[in-house]
Amino acid sequence: MRALQLIVGWALVGIPLAFGIYQTLTRVAALFG
Amino acid sequence: MSWLDRDRTIAPPGFNRWLIPPAALAVHLCIGQAYATSVYKTALVAHFDASLVQIGVIFSIAIVMLGLSAAVLGTWVDTNGPRKAMFVAALFWSGGFLVGSLGIFTDQLWLVYVGYGFIGGIGLGIGYISPVSTLIKWFPDRPGLATGMAIMGFGGGALIASPVSTALLRFYDPNSGAANWVANGDSVGKLFLTLAVIYFAYMMFGALTIKVPAAGWVPAGFDPSKVRAHALVTSNHVSAKNAIRTRQFWLVWIVLFCNVTAGIGILEQAAPMIQDFFRQNDGNSLVSATVAGGFVGLLSLANMGGRFIWSATSDKTGRKNIYMVYLGVGTVMYLLLALFGPSTTALYVVLAFVIISFYGGGFATAPAYLRDLFGTFQVGAIHGRLLTAWSAAGIAGPLIVNSFLDAQGAPGELTAAAYQPALLTMVGLLVVGFVANLFVRPVHSSYHEPERPLVGATVGEARA
Repeated sequence: MRALQLIVGWALVGIPLAFGIYQTLTRVAALFG
Repeated sequence: MSWLDRDRTIAPPGFNRWLIPPAALAVHLCIGQAYATSVYKTALVAHFDASLVQIGVIFSIAIVMLGLSAAVLGTWVDTNGPRKAMFVAALFWSGGFLVGSLGIFTDQLWLVYVGYGFIGGIGLGIGYISPVSTLIKWFPDRPGLATGMAIMGFGGGALIASPVSTALLRFYDPNSGAANWVANGDSVGKLFLTLAVIYFAYMMFGALTIKVPAAGWVPAGFDPSKVRAHALVTSNHVSAKNAIRTRQFWLVWIVLFCNVTAGIGILEQAAPMIQDFFRQNDGNSLVSATVAGGFVGLLSLANMGGRFIWSATSDKTGRKNIYMVYLGVGTVMYLLLALFGPSTTALYVVLAFVIISFYGGGFATAPAYLRDLFGTFQVGAIHGRLLTAWSAAGIAGPLIVNSFLDAQGAPGELTAAAYQPALLTMVGLLVVGFVANLFVRPVHSSYHEPERPLVGATVGEARA
């Protein structure tokens, strides 16, 4: 149960953050493309 | 509303402290939206038929309110605990969007000032400091890592808000497919309403998840005597009221002010600056607007990454030493940027990346530095008062850069040489910060709280 809480907690912040980083990196790619 | 009380948030035995960083991140990722206001800036200019400056005032009010509310309400946050603080921050932050949307729908710009700027700004201030002291108490062994993770969220929030807001504006505006499309006011109002709901839900996740450690709690294997072995890490406690009477507080204030002023100078001007640095004799720049946009994104990543990496590194190096790096190496980097930045884009990008990572690191390491100097008793309140340096730097940084640039020529015609006076001024500021940091010594015992149980601090906290 505690492990599940931990996974859900980190997923709730980690997934949006990963999405934001991915979106930014695609813009950054213009620097090198 | 007793479920919000500090007593109701004490962690049960066996609680995993690694649930605290996502709770803190949930709040910081939401309030980090403040750095993504450029997404709808043009739309608001068109909707209100206002100038860029008039719309920019919305953001300025929010940042000033961030510093003021963190300074004034810091003690309240420390006394009432993180859950109540996060709940109130969620109310203000979401309430700010709601009132702001009302201002957009009714064509009343002053309502947007009051809503997003004033009300939302209070939410920013409370939200920013709400998890900080709790994190420090949960991670007495790694305070830099803990606060770095949370404050990284403030940098990361814009990375999420920017693409999500753009997508929502496209969804709400039926004319989004048109060439040279600028979102209409109605779609920005709807965006504000949507963000109000999403951010309230997310921040409530943080408020409901956060817990304070029980009395006597220390992490397994943690030996407080090792922390005390460092001269600059105190095992005593200084109240917020006393802290601002110490020389150390104002030295750290100067350190943060100089570091932030220098960083903001580059951040605020990032896109036009890289184009101006590589402007050719014919007036055209080697760097296109698209590439400049990518450069801004890269700096956002440096800002976010620096908050986590440098703050976590400070647990090993010590806080004073890492600020020596931010300010000392930063000085050299700025000097190189001013003198050799125009030679190659690669050198320019690397220098700017490192400088902005130091800017982020300076923010994230500050709470741990305060904890080292003043103890954990009212570290949140002291941190709140320190954030006035951010508000001051938010005014000083752009003012310095824009004043120099205005004297050098018109936007779009500037070259690298036009930036030299501003950059060299930043070098001077960083030297001032470096010297201020050199003078930081342990706080005199006359400022310490007497040896008795402290209100708002547990035995475990005192041992930390």
